[in-house]
Amino acid sequence: MFILFKLVIYENAILLLKSMEVDRLDGRTANQRRPVVCTRGVLHRAHGSASWAQGETKVIAAVYGPKAGTKKNENPEKACIEVIWKPKTGQSGKQEREFEMVLKKTLQSICLLNVHPNTTTSIIVQVVNDDGALLPCAINAACSALVDAGIPLKHLAVAICCCMAESGHVFLDPSKLEEQTTKAFVYLVFPSSTMSVLPQGSEVKEHGIITSVTHGVMAVDDYFSCVKMGRAAAAELSDYVRNSLKLKAGNDLSKAG
Amino acid sequence: MEPRVANSLIMTVNENKFIESALLSDIRVDGRRPFDYRTLTIRFASEDGSSEVQLGQTQVIGFVRGQLTQPYRDRPNEGSFAIYTEFSPMADPSFEPGRPGETAIELGRIVDRGLRESRAVDTESLCVIAGKLVWSIRIDLHIIDNGGNLVDAANIAALAALSTFRRPECTSGGDDGQELIIHPPDEREPLPLILHHFPIAVTFGFVGQENTVVIDPTHYEAAVMGGSMTATLNTNGDVCAIQKAGGDGVSQTVIMQCLRVASVKAGDITSKIKDAVESYNTQRSLRKIKRHNPDQQASADVANHQMERLTVSSDQSGIASELSKHDKTNKKNSISKGFSGALASWDPYSRGIDGDELRTSLASRVTPLDKQKEESSKVNPEKKSSPKSFDTTNSLVSTHDVVGLEKKQSKTLKDAVKPKHKRRNRSNAS
Repeated sequence: MFILFKLVIYENAILLLKSMEVDRLDGRTANQRRPVVCTRGVLHRAHGSASWAQGETKVIAAVYGPKAGTKKNENPEKACIEVIWKPKTGQSGKQEREFEMVLKKTLQSICLLNVHPNTTTSIIVQVVNDDGALLPCAINAACSALVDAGIPLKHLAVAICCCMAESGHVFLDPSKLEEQTTKAFVYLVFPSSTMSVLPQGSEVKEHGIITSVTHGVMAVDDYFSCVKMGRAAAAELSDYVRNSLKLKAGNDLSKAG
Repeated sequence: MEPRVANSLIMTVNENKFIESALLSDIRVDGRRPFDYRTLTIRFASEDGSSEVQLGQTQVIGFVRGQLTQPYRDRPNEGSFAIYTEFSPMADPSFEPGRPGETAIELGRIVDRGLRESRAVDTESLCVIAGKLVWSIRIDLHIIDNGGNLVDAANIAALAALSTFRRPECTSGGDDGQELIIHPPDEREPLPLILHHFPIAVTFGFVGQENTVVIDPTHYEAAVMGGSMTATLNTNGDVCAIQKAGGDGVSQTVIMQCLRVASVKAGDITSKIKDAVESYNTQRSLRKIKRHNPDQQASADVANHQMERLTVSSDQSGIASELSKHDKTNKKNSISKGFSGALASWDPYSRGIDGDELRTSLASRVTPLDKQKEESSKVNPEKKSSPKSFDTTNSLVSTHDVVGLEKKQSKTLKDAVKPKHKRRNRSNAS
């Protein structure tokens, strides 16, 4: 019995040591994301707004809509989503266009586009500070702003970033310095699935990845381990988002018009 | 229907008449007196040169950046600065993305004139090598919420950001003394800009024909008023700029009265900006102390305790003792870094919480993680925004963190004494 006791303590010590082997600059473990601060309703003129801060990365998103009419080449049978990305300083360049496109496609897949056909919903994203994981932060902020505006959604989208270090370890939610020094990183967006409304009779399918954007080269196995870690983190984050967005329900006065 | 017309503020005739008649009787819709400003809040991010100003419902964020460039040929020993204003489409449904409209350009010009022609920013101190290298300062102002009176709010944001901006120190060195060395902020403390005075813009709105004047008009009042004037003054009594572009004609006596009111308001606003900048600077210096020497003694004690527990419970085998040695060094690093990292970097926009306050309050509580949530929800008197929810960490192996933090609290009285000594030494040395 004493031998068993010693073995258990020994194994725990090894686990402890392994997890602390990887020493991140700010003292987080491999599986630890930065603290998140999510605030709804930060702006007064916008129909919906939210600010999302992950550590030092901070993004403000505002939503106007639905407004009458769609853009020229868009399908008038459905609602149209328009994204405007405002960088912190400087002109909008190619990088901003790419972010706008990714954000638009992601949000299009979570919005119920048939509820308000022939309308445009504008989402404006303003970068306040960039300290790594900027696009996931913006996706989370945009999603919270859509909830604040009351735009009908299928489910929430939860975004995180995983990066692959030289040593083969997978880190969650890298800072800017870690992003620049790692081999590869991936932005993943998962649906917050657990409480989505499903039509009667259908089986509960495991929802897939909504968006995945990679930078750098990583092996296929590494990618899958990133996805696994990301999915677990997203499940935890989606609970937090759901709880924090619930708080204000019932106090809202309509801001449209 | 034209998208711009559809999106602009459409007010009913009833609303217009109500606001106008109220203003003519010196009553304002939000209950202010004619010469009262709305509540002004100035906040800073943890980064140097970033400010966020909230004037009632109007919100503006300002960023200041510096870059080394060649000077203009006719001013070889002066730096330069430029102001870029962005009317973000999030501020108002009628703001279109893309090229700035007339109001955006006018706002940029007013703020620029106030700073440049009154020589508020000292450009000669921005010179590094005369004729070759100077600092070029870029000020970006983003209007994120249009509640009226954007000029004043943007001006305050620009001044606040300029006051907290730091540029890296440059010295000439190298082999022949001709090379320029830019010192990173860890090596040498970056230098602030030299601002001779604060030009404060004060906007007045003129309503009706009987010379009714109101200060700091909201966007509803702006839709009703017949003309407006912006006067930029400083506390030395200088009029830096006056802008009255069209609108109703106003008599001289009214203009003089406005200028007198503006000089009083300029004094108020200047003192508010200076207070905010000073509290930011003290927080910044506190943060610097934590970064350089985060309680290594205390964490070494903690690690010792941990190590003792492990060695007592595990057997006296060679492997176990080696493990414990590793544990000690790793734990010392992770605990000390983890603790200061967790405090110093969360929620850069929280008001009224500084590092020291939070540390001492943590000391008086048993479980830090839950109580931090309470702390953040208590100290959050935002009027219109929802309560913040603060989520700390998510780790699979978090037990050692919690234990570390708990252990830390039993030591915090000592901590309260030690940093003071360290701080005194630092100030004596520097």
